[in-house]
Amino acid sequence: MSILDKRIIVVTGKGGVGKSTVCAALGLFLAQQGRRTIIAETAGCTAIPPIFGGKARGYKPIPMRPRLHTMSITPEAAIEDYVVQQLHIQALYKLVFRNRVMGPFIEAVPGLHDAIQLGKVFDLERQKDDAKHTWDTIIVDAPATGHGLTMLDAPRAMMELTRAGPVYEGVKMVHNVLDDPDTTAVVLVTLPEVMPLQETIEFYERLGQGRDKVALCILNQVLPDPIFNQDEWDISKSALENHDHPGIAEGVQLVETWLHKVTQQMEAATTISEQLPVPCVQLTHQAHNSEDKPPIDTLANELGAALANGVAP
Amino acid sequence: MSAKVVICCGSGGVGKTTISAAIALKWALEGANVAVLTIDPAKRLADSLSIGELTNQPRRVPIEQIQPQATGKLDALMLDARATFDDLIKRLAPSEDVTQRILSNRYYQFASGRLGGAHEFMAMEKLLEMWQNGPYDIIVLDTPPTRHALDFLRAPGRMSRLMDKGVLRWLVMPAKKGGWRALELGSEMVSRVLKKLLGEITVTEIAEFFDAFRDIWDGFHLRAQRVTELLADPNTKFMLVTTPAPSARREALFFLDVLQSQQMPFGGFIINRHISPPRHELSRASLPTDGPLPEERWEALCQSIVNATHMRSNKAIMHAKAVDTLRAAGPTGAPFWLVPEQELDLHDLNALASLQAALPGAEI
Repeated sequence: MSILDKRIIVVTGKGGVGKSTVCAALGLFLAQQGRRTIIAETAGCTAIPPIFGGKARGYKPIPMRPRLHTMSITPEAAIEDYVVQQLHIQALYKLVFRNRVMGPFIEAVPGLHDAIQLGKVFDLERQKDDAKHTWDTIIVDAPATGHGLTMLDAPRAMMELTRAGPVYEGVKMVHNVLDDPDTTAVVLVTLPEVMPLQETIEFYERLGQGRDKVALCILNQVLPDPIFNQDEWDISKSALENHDHPGIAEGVQLVETWLHKVTQQMEAATTISEQLPVPCVQLTHQAHNSEDKPPIDTLANELGAALANGVAP
Repeated sequence: MSAKVVICCGSGGVGKTTISAAIALKWALEGANVAVLTIDPAKRLADSLSIGELTNQPRRVPIEQIQPQATGKLDALMLDARATFDDLIKRLAPSEDVTQRILSNRYYQFASGRLGGAHEFMAMEKLLEMWQNGPYDIIVLDTPPTRHALDFLRAPGRMSRLMDKGVLRWLVMPAKKGGWRALELGSEMVSRVLKKLLGEITVTEIAEFFDAFRDIWDGFHLRAQRVTELLADPNTKFMLVTTPAPSARREALFFLDVLQSQQMPFGGFIINRHISPPRHELSRASLPTDGPLPEERWEALCQSIVNATHMRSNKAIMHAKAVDTLRAAGPTGAPFWLVPEQELDLHDLNALASLQAALPGAEI
């Protein structure tokens, strides 16, 4: 079963590796394939709209492209959503949850914030229009690895804490959906650098039984190979250095750094193939002039081509 | 004199942990007695500090390896929230019985490692403990990524509210008569709804925890107040660490807002991975017409060099704009430090020490 057929795709990785850009590219590709897709950001983050040049943001789904929506989940909005669903009375929600005692209490229940956000994801998965699923795919832009792990584990932790009652039954349903590898896939985003890569491998190991849901690793911002080989560079370097121009030393240094990074990338790819038993897709580093708007169509095409090539299971 | 506290904040992936360690190392090399407390369990930090393992207790960093006559000292620690919480309860509890009642409570055991805000609050507790009892001139604190660090600023107040005796009334003795008549009807309903949602046993366990906690509440409250005072002390500085990337910058500004609204002392921006423009423009004409390769290959190679230089120029222009944007958005005259992007990994003490020139001095 391909990752393209999963209902829920949870994307995580170390901070700064480009999780949101990958979510946007993946979402765009899926939407272009005809799937109604929503990218759900968590913890109130709103990085997706600017990538598509949009300004609006919020808890309600906002259209980005044909068949592609995005929304930003906050624990507060998700709690209200849940409680109102459970108690059916908005006024009761306000009485019980919006007072000075309950606020801190709700904050103190371990894992509740994370579980409730995943509860919203579960709702999106269940949501129907005219007997058809509203969303074919829900992409979750999850928090960075450390917190991401806590979040994925939250429904199970809540089950352990409550042991019975409506909250127990609720988180159990959420847990079952998110724990089912046929429904849910986890995508790990990383960079071809030592630290992010190490964190990704540690994350995978700490996932324990959850590893069966990891369907894909995306090695992001891979620099293109130079069009010359190391031997050609070695004999050319001294010729360049003997040439009299003040900018040459810097130019040579830049190429050396590039070659060094390309070597590091190859090592990273080897490490992944040895230590992460999941398919890996590489996304090329894109030079662009506006950091807020990466060339998302190019990335979606590249990712789509790699996935269509059967890189994914 | 009490220690200066420097708190490094910023979004994930900006290099906060490395910057915190590099700052602490710099000041130790300049002769101060420094401690760096990290929240992030990064094995590599221990490696780059040349110590085997980071723990909840101070480990001495062998700075004499890079400066044999160094007079300063550097200790590194990594927060263990659970151990810190246990220690605090043992210290504050009036009797062994109270200690045991709390430590053996199922909710406490479940929550002390992952209680909303507990991790952040324990970071503050550890900081306070080191500040009060440690032999340090300066304590550098590396925080969790921004949104979590927010929790961490709010942690003392939040814990105070939670531990407020009002909560106990509502949970433990909702029906008891007291000065709460007007609220009692509501409180019974709250208790019922909670039990309905979370289950009777869970609510009882939580209530028992708060009941046991009542005995150490005053001591706890005092600690929370001290932390709040320490955070607002003019001798404390919050450094905002960011990269030139827009998302990291937005987080830094978001955090600045919070600092200002809470009247916490802001120390300046540290912009990590900054790229400065190449000193010379390079075009194809700057490079030799012929070289040791066949003409076509030589042209391709030269073009690569020119392209690499252009890419760097473009990045440098973006970074310069990013710094300007941040200057315009930040407080007037806010100090800035630009830490150049490192081509190689910072894998040992020497590499960390190489950042010294770009980092703030201990006088901030």
